[in-house]
Amino acid sequence: MKLIKKQGDNICFTVIVLILAAMPLMLNAGMLSGSSTVLFLGKCIAFAVVAIGLDLIWGYTGILSLGHGLYFALGGYCMAMYLKLQQTNGQITDFMHIGGIETLPLAWRPFKYLPLTIILIVAVPSLVAFLVGYFMFKKRVKGVYFSIISQALTWAAYSIFIALSPYTNGNVGITEIKTVFGSIKGDANRANMFTLFYVSLAILVIVYALAKFLVSRKFGKLLVAIRDGENRTYFSGYNVSSYKTFIYVLSAAIAGIAGAVFVNFNGSITPSQMTIAYSITMVIWVAIGGRGTIIGAVIGAFLINLCEYNLSSGSMVEIWQYIIGAVFCITILFFKGGIVGIVKNQIPAFITGVKNKKSVPAKEGAK
Amino acid sequence: MSVNENVLEINNISVCFDGFYALTEVKTAVKRNTVHFFIGPNGAGKTTLLDIICAKTKPTSGTVMFYPKEKEPVRLTGMKEYKIVTEGIGRKFQVPSVFVNLTVTENMILSLKGHKGIMDSIFRKPSNEDMENIYATLEKVGLKERADVRAGSLAHGEKQWLEIAMQLLQKPEIIMLDEPAAGMGKPETFKTGEILKEIKKDCTIIVIEHDMDFVKQAADIVTVLHEGKLLMEGSINDVLADKTVQAVYLGRGGE
Amino acid sequence: MEQLINTLFNGISLSSIILLTSIGLAITFGLMKVINMAHGEFLMIGAYMTFVMQQIFVKIFPESVRDIYYFAAIPFAFLVTFLLGSLLERFVISRLYGREIDSLLATYGISLILQQAARSIFGTQGVNVNAPSFLNGGITIGGCTFSYNRLFIIFMVALCLFLVWLIMYKSNFGKQMRAVMQNRTMAQCMGINSRKVDNITFAIGSGLAGIAGCSVALLGSIDSTVGQSYIVNSFMAVVLGGVGKLLGTVIGSTIIGSASIFTEHYTSSTIAKAIVLLIVIVFLQKRPQGLFVIKSRSLDE
Repeated sequence: MKLIKKQGDNICFTVIVLILAAMPLMLNAGMLSGSSTVLFLGKCIAFAVVAIGLDLIWGYTGILSLGHGLYFALGGYCMAMYLKLQQTNGQITDFMHIGGIETLPLAWRPFKYLPLTIILIVAVPSLVAFLVGYFMFKKRVKGVYFSIISQALTWAAYSIFIALSPYTNGNVGITEIKTVFGSIKGDANRANMFTLFYVSLAILVIVYALAKFLVSRKFGKLLVAIRDGENRTYFSGYNVSSYKTFIYVLSAAIAGIAGAVFVNFNGSITPSQMTIAYSITMVIWVAIGGRGTIIGAVIGAFLINLCEYNLSSGSMVEIWQYIIGAVFCITILFFKGGIVGIVKNQIPAFITGVKNKKSVPAKEGAK
Repeated sequence: MSVNENVLEINNISVCFDGFYALTEVKTAVKRNTVHFFIGPNGAGKTTLLDIICAKTKPTSGTVMFYPKEKEPVRLTGMKEYKIVTEGIGRKFQVPSVFVNLTVTENMILSLKGHKGIMDSIFRKPSNEDMENIYATLEKVGLKERADVRAGSLAHGEKQWLEIAMQLLQKPEIIMLDEPAAGMGKPETFKTGEILKEIKKDCTIIVIEHDMDFVKQAADIVTVLHEGKLLMEGSINDVLADKTVQAVYLGRGGE
Repeated sequence: MEQLINTLFNGISLSSIILLTSIGLAITFGLMKVINMAHGEFLMIGAYMTFVMQQIFVKIFPESVRDIYYFAAIPFAFLVTFLLGSLLERFVISRLYGREIDSLLATYGISLILQQAARSIFGTQGVNVNAPSFLNGGITIGGCTFSYNRLFIIFMVALCLFLVWLIMYKSNFGKQMRAVMQNRTMAQCMGINSRKVDNITFAIGSGLAGIAGCSVALLGSIDSTVGQSYIVNSFMAVVLGGVGKLLGTVIGSTIIGSASIFTEHYTSSTIAKAIVLLIVIVFLQKRPQGLFVIKSRSLDE
């Protein structure tokens, strides 16, 4: 019992990973109808990764970013540019041709090479996040002010990506790309898909372990301290703004990695991954799963997306919007800890409450 | 080094806010390893005096000198706030501010001296010596049994003690406490007094307080301020016996 | 020169719409420390109500008097959004006092619901409002054309602003409101029903967004996302102008509105967005908390 209490989140995470790991095997055994489920779960893995990053800054440090879609998409675009160039053999793409570009733009050139691409997947979001974080946190811009700025940033970046359509293919985004491990379409390429899936799963495990490590150290306690009393932390002698910048950059880098994973499964990236709405959707996962616990972010990302996947087809689309809006609102109003909070605090409190009620009359009887 | 050596000298401090003198020519000294109380009716200038010492407010005239153990004297007037903290003068503000979602021990770990960088926070574990230090300090303020409790679920008094412990961990030479017993019941106040007596072995304590029982219990020296001026100074018995003090402060339904 | 005046004119008309939406945001943030993400949806509702009023008039009244639908639409839009705002405050916002970030998120949930409701009722296609015929055209002075509908919007906003100013600074209710804003506990001790003040203030703010919706309806087609396109600018205006002071909001909105129209005119709407954001970021380097600062004896609030 004590073990479950102490290691509950790790046990839960292990179970999730094992179930995921079994999926390709189930597909091979013919227990799943098609490969779409595996592809979808691959996207969910990407979502869980970005949710962990978001939870680090929001759940732990109290910085609400309404612009993590931007970092997610930046990582995604980096990946997609590499994959696109793989298909064109490093030549310019169709949309560049239409846009009147003759030679491969400078910004695209690094993406001919996989190692450079991998570096840039992390470096580009990190750099943007560093600039934003540095200027905002140093001046102690916080709370909703920061959220509003992050929102505006996403909004501006979104329109820039659309406007630069000769370079980014505007609204359509970068489409028709294979994965890092080659094509995953059709039964013949199933091995490629499985490699991709397991590599992604490994990334999730690594990011989870990294996040758990960070929050278990003094560093993690400091994040909580900053959330609960920023000024007090300054007075304890910590340079809060550099801590905030650090965790914000880390979170953006994680989001970039998640975006790169996502592109492989999705087969395309569009600016819609960069919108405010998409960014807040990520916040919704974390909120419903349970902010301030790493496992909560993972659970939220999987659960919400699974529900959406199953509900939002056809006539259910309308109802889904109502459900997610209402559930989100109610979670924020009454269940600050999300699902994890309910399991960890509210249910035990309820049980003890019931027990106490029962035991009170018993005592009175004894008197 | 004699016990009665001065650790802090306040020389003719005056503070003027827009023509109103909050403090006028206040001159006093605080002796090492004593509990020194500043009392006086509201508006007497007690909090202003603390603000002067930790440089939150600048004096119009006068100086504050700090005589650290085994180091050269320091002129506090004109120094930056955070420098004064590193010189060894800690201050606890009136409203308790501990990190409510961390445990008592975690609160203490964050208050350890040094290693405040990001990489240290990630990779460096507090040494055994640090942990022993933390437990010893918690023992002093009587929170050792509560070491793993969330600070948010501590009682009001316990939060105040925890904050004192967090200050102690920085090993300051002087701790300034602004109404530490405010909002405490009798037993808690008494225990706070005992804690002060215990910790004065290691440092000097400056306290602002209204509760006269608390003053009687813990004070070595009491300075009475009235309307920005030093009214009298001495042991608690001298102060209580003084006619002027009774007239301006104690007599007016104080205690 | 003529172009400059035209741009300025467009800038002022955009600023005035932003102003109308940001007043509500700024006041409620100042009063209750809540940010209402559904505020843009109130604008959307106001716009749709204009459309509804037009449909009603087309059905019921003869063609000759149809144009006056717009004058019926303004109070109607105000009333609907006022009531919705009051309900939202009563059931959601009032539970979130002081929890700024949570209020932002919870109201985003509301905004999802409202947007979907708009899609369910009015469809995903945008609908159009025919501006009353007397607002077609414009006056031309020395080569500059001032379209009537934009002039009308500016006039309407000026009127609303004047009324808000009257309420805030001249009425008894305004006195209570400002008292609660400055010191809630003290105001309660003086016998002010702060719950009621909050509710009415929030409702008025929502109503103003509804009126802004009426003016937006004159400028283009209405769909479920129309609120979103204005709300980001309004938020930025609030950040710039600070909260609780009418003048701050006016200045903030003017800066945001004019800056975006001007850069848009000389470059593109894309760069305009980036420039506006840059202005706000640079401004925040100077005044990180907007134009207002909270002072308190405790370290963290």
